[in-house]
Amino acid sequence: MKKHTLASHIIRNVLIFCAGLFLVTFSIYYYFTRNTIRETTRENAIFLANNTVNRIEQVLGPAEKIPEIVAKMLESSFLTRDSLIPFLKSILSINKSIYASAVAFEPNYFPDKGLFYAPYVYRQGDSLRSAMLGDENYEYAFMDWYQIPKMTNAPYWSEPYFDEGGGNIIMTTYSVPFYTVREGRRTFSGIVTIDVSLEWLKEIMSSVKILETGYAFLISRNGVIITHPNKAYVMNQSIFTIAKENSQPGLREVGRQMIQGKSNFASADFKSKWHPGKLWINYKGLPSSHWSIGVIYPDKEMFASLRKINMILLLLIVAGLSLLSFITIKIINRLTAPLKHFAESARLIAAGNFNVQLPEIKTHDEMMELHNSFSYMQKELSEYIVSLKDTTTAKEKIESELRIAREIQMAMIPHIFPPFPDLPQIDVFAVLKSAKEVGGDLYDFFVIDGNKFCFAIGDVSGKGVPASLFMAVTRTLVRSISDKEASPSVIVSTLNKSLSMNNESSMFVTFFLGVLDLVTGEMSYSNAGHNPPVIIRKNGDVVMFEKSKFIPVGLFEDFEYGESSVQMESGDKIFLYTDGVSEAENAENKLFGDENLLEIIRRNANASPRDLIQKMEEGLAAHVKGYTQSDDITMMTILRNG
Amino acid sequence: MKIQVEATDGYTIVSVDGRVDATNANEFEKSMMKVVEEGCTKIILDCSGLNYISSSGLRIFLIVLKKMMAIKGQFILCNLQPEIKEIFDISGLSSIFPIYTNKEAALAT
Repeated sequence: MKKHTLASHIIRNVLIFCAGLFLVTFSIYYYFTRNTIRETTRENAIFLANNTVNRIEQVLGPAEKIPEIVAKMLESSFLTRDSLIPFLKSILSINKSIYASAVAFEPNYFPDKGLFYAPYVYRQGDSLRSAMLGDENYEYAFMDWYQIPKMTNAPYWSEPYFDEGGGNIIMTTYSVPFYTVREGRRTFSGIVTIDVSLEWLKEIMSSVKILETGYAFLISRNGVIITHPNKAYVMNQSIFTIAKENSQPGLREVGRQMIQGKSNFASADFKSKWHPGKLWINYKGLPSSHWSIGVIYPDKEMFASLRKINMILLLLIVAGLSLLSFITIKIINRLTAPLKHFAESARLIAAGNFNVQLPEIKTHDEMMELHNSFSYMQKELSEYIVSLKDTTTAKEKIESELRIAREIQMAMIPHIFPPFPDLPQIDVFAVLKSAKEVGGDLYDFFVIDGNKFCFAIGDVSGKGVPASLFMAVTRTLVRSISDKEASPSVIVSTLNKSLSMNNESSMFVTFFLGVLDLVTGEMSYSNAGHNPPVIIRKNGDVVMFEKSKFIPVGLFEDFEYGESSVQMESGDKIFLYTDGVSEAENAENKLFGDENLLEIIRRNANASPRDLIQKMEEGLAAHVKGYTQSDDITMMTILRNG
Repeated sequence: MKIQVEATDGYTIVSVDGRVDATNANEFEKSMMKVVEEGCTKIILDCSGLNYISSSGLRIFLIVLKKMMAIKGQFILCNLQPEIKEIFDISGLSSIFPIYTNKEAALAT
């Protein structure tokens, strides 16, 4: 499995977060910037269109005034028929933008002049020439420039046209109807025209630049292209023919709006052969001539700057994120470098080298805390190990001492069986199993005066070393008292007196002492609060002694102990025990009990002392089932043989 | 083991529950000594909850008894369970401890 470092985890999370943040920020920025650019470009286009319209109007407006003034002058008979040509000449001479001018009267207006009367002044080179229009080949009264204003009773700008005779320039004619009073009525009398060259329009229009390749064009009221950067279109195509050629219904709709003199801003996916790609158009009508200006610019140019900025931004983001990753890795590696050392130190410490050098930390942060904790652990561990060694040594010493103490204690009680090979009247067997190394139980037996068998069993309160010391004292006292005395009550009373004196700890011993007369079989005994022994008759009768009437020894020095006696015939046995037997507990805290004890004795009434005790041990083992022995266990059986 | 001491005017009732053995004899001794040292002249030990006592425990009983006897006070046991009473009987200690079957009887002394 690939090892993931802390740095790579952090980097991944930080990068995902930052990239997401940048993406959101960038999207919002892009959306708003795009809208702003579109709006700015649109405003610029509108401004350009308006500006161009104004510039054109500034030329056309004054030009319109001239034929209108002439018309008024004719109506008011200010001008006479013969003064028309000099007048028109003088007008042309001061208005360079006017190429030609004519005053065309209604046919037969002057009967004396024939059907047509239309003085016409025009430029030829630098000079002005005059002529009379109208003959059978040119019946001007049927021309558009004449017919339309006549019908509409309104001035009219003609469709632009190539003036083939006049130098192949684009011209347009402004026609103004005039009226005179005839037979008392204001009657249509003819048309005043001026021909205006549109060459200057090209100049104005070609000066319109927007974005990289944006341009302006002009169409007539019929949609005919008047100016366009593509010369092939001029006067040859209309916006509708272009729309049709390129299958652009959108452009046709725009054209329709334009010739109605409306202003708007729209985008159309022109895919023009001349200028491919999505184009935006802004158009505005000219109020006088009903022509319309369109300002066109490509969509991709509009956002070219934005795309450039985007590229720069994206590069910056990628570079920024790379730098961020690099620096973060550096920082994290620097911060976490001690961790590797700590891991190594921990392994060494675990291996037992508590003095391993920890990484040096200069920062006062979590790493310092870790360092301090490690250092503390090191110190504590080494101290603990030292103390553990001391403790173990001390414990081993105590255990060794206890082992020796146990050997001494065991040596104090008779443990060779049979003890009196030359005393056939007696068979005795005893065991003592301490719960701890040393215990508080004791048994003893010895012969007094050659014919009295003295035996004792006792249990010191408590366990362990204090009990064992008290046991040793008790056993020694019993031996020394018995040297001079053979009466159980006297021995016990004397023992009690000695033990009670200065017994601040209030330790006590339950104690049973018997003296069997080997000749008569009389057994006298004194019981100081000990478990009553059991007498097993030769015939199998099993009787437990009555309970003690006396308190354990060691409590009150003036306590008087009495004695009783019982006859032991040949073959009779006596079984003595401590409460470690009767109160042996199993895992369920159930005590072994007197009944179990008596039952085992009954079943083995004829067994030898050694066998009886063995059976009893087996019975105890079956009861406790391996549960820890909590109290010392002592048993002694004495058989009288004849 | 749980010990509850209830000091009343003139006497103190101590209730002991559970086992008193070598493992907690010291604790029991300390609790009892505290009661003794308070100068109470009549201590009633309610043994209704006492279900086991070892010789180490008996030693504490005897210490308290001796202390009370020294100041001519009383140390009375009551409500001994049969198993506990049996231990007192076997050891002969029931002859030196005042033992009553219930608290009322113990109080009446």
